[in-house]
Amino acid sequence: MKPDDIYSFCKQLHYPRWGGTIKMRKIWISVVCAIITSLIIAGCSQKGSSNDDAVSVWVHTSNETPEGKAMQKIIDQFNEKYKGEYEAKIEFIPRSGSGGGYEDKINAALTTNTLPDVLTLDGPNTAAYAEAGMIAPIDEYLTNKDDLLPSIIQQGTYDGKMYAVGYSESGVGVFYNKQMLKDAGVDLTTLPTVENPWDWNQFIDLNEKLVKKFDRPVIDMGFNDKSEWLMYAFTPFLWSQGGNIVSEDGATANGVFNNENAVKTMTFIQDMIKKGYSTISPVDKGFNTGEYALKFGGSWTIAEMEEYPDVEYGIMPYPTSPDTNKLVSPSGSWQYAMSATSDKKEAAGTLIDFMTSTESLTEITLANSVLPAAYSVIEEVKDKVSDEMNILIEQNAASAHARPVLPEYPQVSRIFQQTVSDVTYYEENANIQTLLDDKVTQIDKVLK
Amino acid sequence: MNTTKKESLAAYGFLAPALLLLGLFLVIPALLAIYYAFTDYYLLTPDKRQFVGLANFIEIFKDTIFLQSLKNIVVFVLCVIPVQVGAALGLALLINKQRRGNIFFKVAFFAPVVLSLVVISVLWLYLLNPSEGLINSLLVNIGFDAQPFLSSPKQAMYTIVFVSAWQGAGYQMLIFLAGLQNIPGTVYEAAKIDGVSKWQNFIYITMPLLKPTSILIMITTLIGAFKLIIQPMVMTQGGPMNSTITPVYYIYQTGFSDRLIGYSSAMTVLFGIVIAIVTLIQSKVTKEENI
Amino acid sequence: MSKHGRKIVEYVFLIFLACIFVFPLVWMIVSSMKPEASIYLDMNSIKALLPSYNPSEWFQTYKALFSRFNVLQYVWNSVFYAAIVTIGSIIVNGMAGYAFAKFQFRGKKFLFGLLLVLLIVPAETIIITQFTVAHGIGVLNTRLAVVLPMMASMFFIYLFRNFFMAVPDEIIESVKLDGANQWTIFWRIMLPMSKPAIATVGTLSFIASWNDYLWPLMVLTDTSKFPLQVAITNINTTEPVYTNQVMAILTVSTIPLIIVYIIAQKYILQGLGGSGTGIK
Repeated sequence: MKPDDIYSFCKQLHYPRWGGTIKMRKIWISVVCAIITSLIIAGCSQKGSSNDDAVSVWVHTSNETPEGKAMQKIIDQFNEKYKGEYEAKIEFIPRSGSGGGYEDKINAALTTNTLPDVLTLDGPNTAAYAEAGMIAPIDEYLTNKDDLLPSIIQQGTYDGKMYAVGYSESGVGVFYNKQMLKDAGVDLTTLPTVENPWDWNQFIDLNEKLVKKFDRPVIDMGFNDKSEWLMYAFTPFLWSQGGNIVSEDGATANGVFNNENAVKTMTFIQDMIKKGYSTISPVDKGFNTGEYALKFGGSWTIAEMEEYPDVEYGIMPYPTSPDTNKLVSPSGSWQYAMSATSDKKEAAGTLIDFMTSTESLTEITLANSVLPAAYSVIEEVKDKVSDEMNILIEQNAASAHARPVLPEYPQVSRIFQQTVSDVTYYEENANIQTLLDDKVTQIDKVLK
Repeated sequence: MNTTKKESLAAYGFLAPALLLLGLFLVIPALLAIYYAFTDYYLLTPDKRQFVGLANFIEIFKDTIFLQSLKNIVVFVLCVIPVQVGAALGLALLINKQRRGNIFFKVAFFAPVVLSLVVISVLWLYLLNPSEGLINSLLVNIGFDAQPFLSSPKQAMYTIVFVSAWQGAGYQMLIFLAGLQNIPGTVYEAAKIDGVSKWQNFIYITMPLLKPTSILIMITTLIGAFKLIIQPMVMTQGGPMNSTITPVYYIYQTGFSDRLIGYSSAMTVLFGIVIAIVTLIQSKVTKEENI
Repeated sequence: MSKHGRKIVEYVFLIFLACIFVFPLVWMIVSSMKPEASIYLDMNSIKALLPSYNPSEWFQTYKALFSRFNVLQYVWNSVFYAAIVTIGSIIVNGMAGYAFAKFQFRGKKFLFGLLLVLLIVPAETIIITQFTVAHGIGVLNTRLAVVLPMMASMFFIYLFRNFFMAVPDEIIESVKLDGANQWTIFWRIMLPMSKPAIATVGTLSFIASWNDYLWPLMVLTDTSKFPLQVAITNINTTEPVYTNQVMAILTVSTIPLIIVYIIAQKYILQGLGGSGTGIK
């Protein structure tokens, strides 16, 4: 198209005899402007209904999930019971896998002083929020502290005071494929139970037998899991051995994370890869499809397995350290807390207490298929859940150990996870003591 | 004088909406971030924020992980630019022809751009699995050894280069296509009359006329590559052994997970300066006359 | 080799290339059309790229998904946001590009350079300060807050500028002589002549808005206003997570983008009336 053609084409657009075109364009422009203006007006006038007397509650799930629906039900029940006295209003803020989204929103609200009265928070955040003065102690409002599991109290306590209360629990067990074990010559009646767990050596023997039979990795321990898993599922090994990550007062990791207990634990973990029992890159859903005979899984795995009816499975407890024979298993959940800047502390406290009553907790436990957070709830759900679930519940009540309550938890957790990941590269990291010494320096830098 | 003033006014009239939006949502937040770089801002205690001068910057130079991330991103940028831009240009040239079923190819090449990273990472993680993955099965069949790919500190970054280039090529292909279409057909017709070969067509006509587009693509791809965060975040979480951690990912981690906004902002400022310098060098080298 | 033979080789090569790029898309769609376990059982065979052999199972996942989650509401929200952002982006960036392309004014070079520098700032690092600004101007929890930050982009301004610079000045001069003002020139000459730029900017803006997850979540509190991406993250984290349902919602989310792209690329390649441009 030559420039002259373009020119005459455009000139035609401009001339009045194409009046229709000009008018249409003018109308189109005004329509667009009208839309934008009305958007602005609509945007400014809509501030969202705000009943200032209601106790505002933010939860980290959407109202379409079983958890969210259960929470809505509990809030409705609260509003019924306390009609005329208190009212609660709940807001659903869905989050992405690692707490992102919801936590970003909480952080943003913090900077603009618009935190809700009651909020949910993930266990590991307790210390940071408490130390920063974001949440207030709630000891005085809880009427059923004795009923709560020790791990729940451990998770929510910082500096001697309880700042948050978990409303459910979670745990991990060793899932086993009954058929595959039988094929390898294992007598299923000799498998460990919560009362009689196995130690690491017996556990390794089982793996040996399985590898001999199947000639490939036999256990999925989630080494490729990029979420909190390496911290959540592997710290119990360290604790069972009597070790720890940081000292009691949280001041240093030196002499703690690099002592012989830590070395023994990391050696055990490294051996699982070095000797070929497990793999650093397990196939997704490998246990479900009959690829692996063993898997570290939780209540979510039980739900998954319903889609794979061909696999008959059972659950074993965590293996224990041969030196102590102490059963320790993972623990962790989201909790309710009250913001320190709330002007309705009485109402908020009453609400939190209500939400952690036996009825409320049972509601959530059953709706979400998770582990109970209190003894009375265990009684309530015992007969309503599967046998496999009951094993997880039993193990949890007997041995759950909360994750460390540290303000610097995110960094410490990451360093621990990197330690576990690093030892699996056993050629590059053959000397575990040196590795741990290096990690201790990193942790201490963070704790200063 | 009067007409220039009038023209200036008109110009700013046209610029006003963009300037307002960019000012509000880009300039002000960026300035705030620069301010935070000189404080010890801890996310959960905004009121206790204090000015600490250059303390953060001094820390950064001692931070082995940040330095490692710089090394990683340089490797990434140097590898991904030729691969991704080359692929994009190649694809654009291939498509820029009339042919039956062209629409199918156009959609196919662009598909990875619109696909969610969830799908892409699940699939590639499966394909690249060191023991069971399809790619390794093929390699073994041809006679090579199975490769560890993402689980090897040496190979992980290069694997991410490949996946990123594969995912992003369609985006730049679109820009190249728009640029190619801007070249008037008359130029090619004239060349045809002169008996010019296809290859000469490409070197002496297409490439030079594509220059403004190419430069735009080079610069934006470069800047985009430096900002790599999503792939390592989703596929390797910076590992194994910090071989795939990138500066923006580390900045995000320090700021949002560790809550050290002051320190993280300082890294942003420092890294921003690095990108700016590299971009300046690159545009000087390609002699951008239009700026 | 004959011309016919060359053409066949060309097509085979292209199809092979296309497969490399398109297989995840196929896998995603197909995985939404089979029962959960089949996805993983089929992984190592060609069945991974085929839907369930039983056609009655094809839409079961969608039925379950739609009853579990309020998908249509989120789709509508996403469409709304993306449309507003696309239109706004074309207008705002087009106007700015026009200013840089055809006007001489004080501070032009400096301003242009300054805005280019802004391309460096990574979006993830300023999201909290952006939230503070949004809170400051009082638009939190409004649809306006969701769309405003996305509209202006230096990258698109640059694209428009380049296209406008290619429009010959003589045309503008002659229309000016006829009494047209700048606004008219912009709307009835510049924009219509840069269909490729509009199509490109429009498509990329639409995609960016459609895929935006974190910002809408930050500024909105009403679940009824959430876009589709938030729903996707929801579904991805609400236990039990069924991979086929995740693939189903992702399919619902990706298909509109493909459609937008198919429509737009026609305009990108039509250019100025579509008669004599590019290699034939």
